[in-house]
Amino acid sequence: MATTITAKDFATHTASWWCPGCGDFGVIAALKQAAAELELRPKDVAFVSGIGCSGKISGYFNSYALHGVHGRALPAATAIKLANRDLTVIVAGGDGDGYAIGAGHFLHAVRRNPDMTYVVMDNQTYGLTKGQSSPTSALGYVTGTSPSGNPDAPINGLAIALAAGGTFIARGFSSEPKAMVEMIKAGVRHPGFAIVEVMSPCVTFNKINTYKWFKDNVYHVSDDPAYDPTNRTHAFDVLMKPGKIPLGILYHETRPTLESLTIKDNPAIAGLKIEELSPKFASIQDQYR
Amino acid sequence: MIFNDIEVMFGGQAGDGSLTTGDLIAGVFKHMGREVYTYKDFPSRIRGGHTNYVIRASDHANYGMADFVDCLVAFDLEAVQKHIDEMRPGGFIIFDNTDEKIPDDLRRDDVFIYEVPLGKIAKHDLGLEIVRNTVSLGVIAELTGMDPDVVRGDVTKVYQRKGEAVVEKNIAAIEAGAKYIRENYNRPSGYAQSQSTDGDRLIMMGNDAIGYGALVAGCRFMAGYPITPATDVLEWMAKYAPQYGGVVVQAEDELAAINMTIGAAFAGVRSMTATSGPGQALMTEGIGLAGVIEVPIVVIECARAGPSTGMPTKTEQSNLNHLIFSGHGEIPRVVIAPGTVEESFYLTVAAFNIAEKYQVPVFVLSEQALCQSKATLPPLEMSTVTVDRGKLQRNGALSVGEYNRYAFSDDGVSPRAIPGVEGGMHLAPGSEHSDGGVITEDARNREKMMEKRMRKLVSMRPDLPKPNILGDASSRIRIIGYGSNRGPIAEAQDRLAAAGLPTAFMQLRTLWPFPEEEVKAFVEGADHVFIIENSFTGQLDRLIRYVVGPRETVHPVLKYNGKPFRPIEIIDAVAKFAPVREPAGVR
Repeated sequence: MATTITAKDFATHTASWWCPGCGDFGVIAALKQAAAELELRPKDVAFVSGIGCSGKISGYFNSYALHGVHGRALPAATAIKLANRDLTVIVAGGDGDGYAIGAGHFLHAVRRNPDMTYVVMDNQTYGLTKGQSSPTSALGYVTGTSPSGNPDAPINGLAIALAAGGTFIARGFSSEPKAMVEMIKAGVRHPGFAIVEVMSPCVTFNKINTYKWFKDNVYHVSDDPAYDPTNRTHAFDVLMKPGKIPLGILYHETRPTLESLTIKDNPAIAGLKIEELSPKFASIQDQYR
Repeated sequence: MIFNDIEVMFGGQAGDGSLTTGDLIAGVFKHMGREVYTYKDFPSRIRGGHTNYVIRASDHANYGMADFVDCLVAFDLEAVQKHIDEMRPGGFIIFDNTDEKIPDDLRRDDVFIYEVPLGKIAKHDLGLEIVRNTVSLGVIAELTGMDPDVVRGDVTKVYQRKGEAVVEKNIAAIEAGAKYIRENYNRPSGYAQSQSTDGDRLIMMGNDAIGYGALVAGCRFMAGYPITPATDVLEWMAKYAPQYGGVVVQAEDELAAINMTIGAAFAGVRSMTATSGPGQALMTEGIGLAGVIEVPIVVIECARAGPSTGMPTKTEQSNLNHLIFSGHGEIPRVVIAPGTVEESFYLTVAAFNIAEKYQVPVFVLSEQALCQSKATLPPLEMSTVTVDRGKLQRNGALSVGEYNRYAFSDDGVSPRAIPGVEGGMHLAPGSEHSDGGVITEDARNREKMMEKRMRKLVSMRPDLPKPNILGDASSRIRIIGYGSNRGPIAEAQDRLAAAGLPTAFMQLRTLWPFPEEEVKAFVEGADHVFIIENSFTGQLDRLIRYVVGPRETVHPVLKYNGKPFRPIEIIDAVAKFAPVREPAGVR
């Protein structure tokens, strides 16, 4: 391809449904920029999302996109990758889609380690259904479904991913686009399941975890020269420590991908010529004679 | 005396090896040229609990159980207690009296009992308790006129992988069983086999035929979650698909399984999943997604007795409503139901072509009495298999101009581009969308898009498997059924005809879209129509009444105890309304 790929190549003409000021705008911009810098081609990207404000994102990214049912983006994406290893698979979801209804699939996707990038936009609330508590809402968070304050301890998605054998774990913040682009690029390049959690404030419903709140409550692990992102203990330490929220690439390691273990020498099942019947088919029935 | 038909039942405790021996017996009968049907009736546990395995062998195709058991092999007293009432007058029991005695009040005058210390012979004479089953095989062979050469050959084949010593032990066990009968019982059993030889035929389980059909039809992706009685399909595919470039995933649950199936299909691979009632319930939302994003998937449903966990290892036809009506909103879908092991292969092939040609989810509905049963069948003809990928666009770039994934069309089907194809990028959203795949709630678009999708139900009609009509279509007495009931109904028909009552039987093979015209025409002009099904509420019966209106001539014949129909039950139901010349229950 002689022409240069730019972020515009990944834009669609679909008008956004997000509220003005939504953190997710930063995420889609970073995704398009990262895709351009990686010189991906829209035809070779499969973008999968679930349901919720986060799920809308697949409509704003020009590629092959599947906007599936609530919480089930990861199984669909896993199968897409198995069906065609040549594709770059990107999955996007939210804290509800990923850590509540999709928690089981999240765990198993991490464990299987298919080569894909999973962006979780965490706004600590349910936006599309108008502001209920989410699995990452703080204890005591008051909403329509938790008028006396949220009684459920928040989930620590990245720590769970680490415990489940995650091979690439990062966290970004919607207000830091440059860092997010680099994180997504590293995640896509990573041969395995890369999870990039993004703090993405909901300006409409979450009046506690605002842009300002995050600015005051995050820090970058890269600021500590002793931090080693290949050391799982370091990663657990920062993820489990109460208080400020660590940002950056927190952990990475390499282990075999799902595809490498299941499809030894067939890059794209989708390209198989199944119209030509194998002469070997008939002999399968010999064992039943 | 030569008999043309025998039903052998193996009864004992689960895990005692009766499955292996049952399979062995089925193989022996097949190699002797008999037509064979087997039925497994086992508990939902691994070891312990009463289990029985029925092997029926005839000189004509049967596809189902007989009225009665001719020969019961009872490894314990419980097997006698449970099944002595199912014995044919004149039948016989082979009872292992090593540890137990049969009380007098359990005995029947018209059922002879051979008391053979199977366990003792195995343990003391042969020094290997585990060959007790094979000793019983020697007894059966002697009493039912099995060909000794075939028995020895098959036993050798089965135990070969365990080494020469094991083979010899088992051959000795057969001899010991036969010898015991010859030395202790000076009476012919009354059973011998009529002469026939094994032609070029197969003996195969329904689930294997489904897996085989899927593979040949080009299925190269399967995701499933183990569930009785569908797991065999997953295991079959796990063994074979990778040899042809395919991949099989054991998903974490049925929610993942269905969404994986959809994902792989979206990427352009022929994909399927296989499940049973409870798993099917979990897949419901995914089926709706497949329908609205127009992705072709095949879902194998191996029905079992519900509701909830129900009876996982027992047969029932009570998931029909679920397949046809489940899910929120309305999508075009197809439900096809094979009636034999052979049809399980060919209709699975058809399912993939229908799914891809019309971009809809297709269910293949089987049942425990068919999918885990074995039957003899002619060799499967690979040459009849064709792969029709419909409007799939996967080569090179799409023609210049705007590509609309959901373009409105006369037949309701739109060109389907898959990832990797230049110019085919689109969003496939579960939300309502425009022809270009953009999410919209516009009222006019909604109407047009619903109509477009639903048009497929009309355009696909020529490709749907037609009902089979057995018997004389003009008979005044008519029967409708589907699935595993094909066997017992066809047999009941033959015997009713012999008793002077001709009948017509419509075996439905497409259950949705419902073949209204054919069914209406079939019900018209009949004196009586019997709807045979394994359910309490009569799900097929209600569908038919919905189409033909209320009629006094339509009679549901329902069975819901987890067991398949025996022909006599159908004969009795018919005879209530249409007197027959002689008792048709006598073979």
